[in-house]
Amino acid sequence: MLPVPGPVIALVLLYANLTWLGRIPENLGALADRILQNLGLLFVPAGAGIVAYVHLLRTDLVAIIAALLGGTIVTIGLVGVIADRLTRGQQTGVVHDATT
Amino acid sequence: MRPLDAPAWQQLAGLPSVAIGATVPAYVIALRLQRRCAGSPILNPTLVTILLVVGLLQLTGTRYETYVRSASFIHFMLGPAVGLLAVPLFRQTALIRASGVVIAIALAIGLPAGIVTAVGLAWLLGGHAETLLSLAPKSLTTGIAIGVSQAIGGVPALTAVFVILTGIIGAVCGPATVRLMGISDVRILGLAMGIGSHGIGTARAFQFGDVAGAFSSLGMSLNGVLTAVLLPLFITLLPA
Repeated sequence: MLPVPGPVIALVLLYANLTWLGRIPENLGALADRILQNLGLLFVPAGAGIVAYVHLLRTDLVAIIAALLGGTIVTIGLVGVIADRLTRGQQTGVVHDATT
Repeated sequence: MRPLDAPAWQQLAGLPSVAIGATVPAYVIALRLQRRCAGSPILNPTLVTILLVVGLLQLTGTRYETYVRSASFIHFMLGPAVGLLAVPLFRQTALIRASGVVIAIALAIGLPAGIVTAVGLAWLLGGHAETLLSLAPKSLTTGIAIGVSQAIGGVPALTAVFVILTGIIGAVCGPATVRLMGISDVRILGLAMGIGSHGIGTARAFQFGDVAGAFSSLGMSLNGVLTAVLLPLFITLLPA
């Protein structure tokens, strides 16, 4: 069995399908916008399961806070610095092209 | 407060209409609350709704298993909804073509960095294996992160909460971090925010303009898809 989550396979297949079609059918576009706008609601049942893991949160509290706070800030900083260094000199004008 | 009459309530709580009828209004209240507070990322509607639901379960003495079984339709919708992320991604195909190099560079750094920094820090500080595996997909968009967590043996519930907290931290600290590095390219700001802190970071990136927002959303989607394919493979290849 593939270890890749099913919904991600669906995403890739739908993207391939859209590429083959060359456009987004009107109904599908409207449906996607509507559902994705309220995507946050769909995580609630899974997230509420946190009640069963309060003990783990408590014992690993320091590790979790460090991982979330440190990990996120370092990741954003690293992407910023390295991408900036590697693309410097070729970035003029591209910013404007990207919007058109 | 005394828990409600157990047998009668457990039966009622087992009804999908009751579970969904509690979750949806709680989410609407959470959305209003965030809107009233100028869209502050700290008042993330999903997190607030989770807290409201957990409070309600405690207050009524309802078991989580009972709730999640009757709210399973909401959870079921998550799969198809994640598939629909292909639509906004497809809309940005032109952007991928035009800025492929900077996008590829940002992903090559951000994808491993998001996993290694979180798992590494937690490991150094003595986190349990369950915690480490649940932290690994924390930079991904929640729907994909939950699936990846399940695939690699993490706890989806922990991952959901870690992901939301990551988004909030990115939204609050991300722009300042990027500015501190002296970076002025809004494409890079967007990519860093989207790769590091998914949808919540993307909402913040849009406040720096449509270009930053579009690149952030692109970074989020590509990071999600690529990690979902690569991380479970990598973990199965690891010696046991």
